[in-house]
Amino acid sequence: MSGRSQRLCVWLSLLFVVFFGLGLILPGFLPPTDPSAGAGEVAAMYRTHTQAMRLGFLLLQASSALTALFVAVVSVQLKRIEGAHSPYAYVQMIAGGCGVLVLLIPSTLWIAAAFRPERDPQLILLLNDLAWLLLTPTFACFCIQATAIGLAVLSDTRPDPVFPRWAGYLNLWVAVLSLPAGLIAFFRTGPFAWNGLISFWMVAIIFFAWLITMVVLLLKAIGQQEAGQSTGSPAVTGSA
Amino acid sequence: MPMRHVDPMASAPLEGGECVARIPGEAGIWVLILGEMSVFGLLFATFLFYRSKAAAQFAASQALLDRNIGMANTLLLLTSSWFVAGAIQALRRDLTTIGRGCLAAAFACGAGFVSLKAIEYSEKFSAGITIAGDDFFMYYFVLTGIHLLHVLIGLGVLAFAAMISVRGVANTGRMRVIEGGAAFWHMVDLLWIVLFPLLYFLR
Repeated sequence: MSGRSQRLCVWLSLLFVVFFGLGLILPGFLPPTDPSAGAGEVAAMYRTHTQAMRLGFLLLQASSALTALFVAVVSVQLKRIEGAHSPYAYVQMIAGGCGVLVLLIPSTLWIAAAFRPERDPQLILLLNDLAWLLLTPTFACFCIQATAIGLAVLSDTRPDPVFPRWAGYLNLWVAVLSLPAGLIAFFRTGPFAWNGLISFWMVAIIFFAWLITMVVLLLKAIGQQEAGQSTGSPAVTGSA
Repeated sequence: MPMRHVDPMASAPLEGGECVARIPGEAGIWVLILGEMSVFGLLFATFLFYRSKAAAQFAASQALLDRNIGMANTLLLLTSSWFVAGAIQALRRDLTTIGRGCLAAAFACGAGFVSLKAIEYSEKFSAGITIAGDDFFMYYFVLTGIHLLHVLIGLGVLAFAAMISVRGVANTGRMRVIEGGAAFWHMVDLLWIVLFPLLYFLR
């Protein structure tokens, strides 16, 4: 039973990818808006694509809430490693929960900008900046989340671990890699700006590769858990 | 999943004197190391690409760097790697005191690197040069900053390795963890060996 609900959560959380993709494409955020663009240019963008932007930002909000499903299943599996006293599972869940807000709050500010696109272009620019820069805490939440997963996976000493050990190192790597996202606070142009090769494209590509890898590993871990329950404890299968 | 049958934590790969071909550390650590090196590769390529578009300006800013500090830091990291290699040799033979001594020496060299980097940064700041100075200094601060972050993580790894280096560590899972940490430190060293000429000397 628990395996089935976990699978449901994992597969539903993949809708994140669909909503996130549409949520960026509809407002014209792929590639992201130019951080060095002037107020007139940015305000014009909000005036011309108003409806598509509003819809896109709502989809971004839906996508961010969906990550909660993924985060929860990761913690369920980490708890299998850690047992009753499971600090990593809780750290992962709290940091991952803050990660939900990291996208939710900027989308609301983008909606505020698209809500009255006729207002002073300088104010539109401010809202737009504020929304993009609210993505900076990603590096902090995501770093802690991936570190917790990595340490938990590496602490698994059973002969048949929940996750392969390389997944632990993968998460530690991703944790370090998320740090350059903080650089967007410093630059309006170049590879480290919020639309840059490193700060946006590299971080985004690695994030999605990580997400897909974790989904595959989670499904395998759930399968392993079910196999253990059906062979390991007859009482559970008897009642089920 | 491909490596489950290897089970690095349980295996004791080096039987007394027998020579078995294997990679140092657990296989998984190489996901991290090769991943890090590809990201730094991308950073170096980005630097070279933008440098080629403004070669004269990059050269003018490069002339403001302190090569002596850079060279001293290179020697410190090379020495620390030598100590780390020595530590691995000693710990594999259960020469625990020598092994831990070598790790401490490596740590000291790494700490020296961090101190010199702090001096170098503060010299730049007092000369009015910041991360927002120009494109060259943007790369200088970002690349050396990310590398410095790796040095700090590496120092933590070395301290952890010294902590778990107890008597009789050879041929155990702990030895593989220590080897993995050593491989990480060598990577931090290797990245600087590329970064140093790229930033300080490339004409």
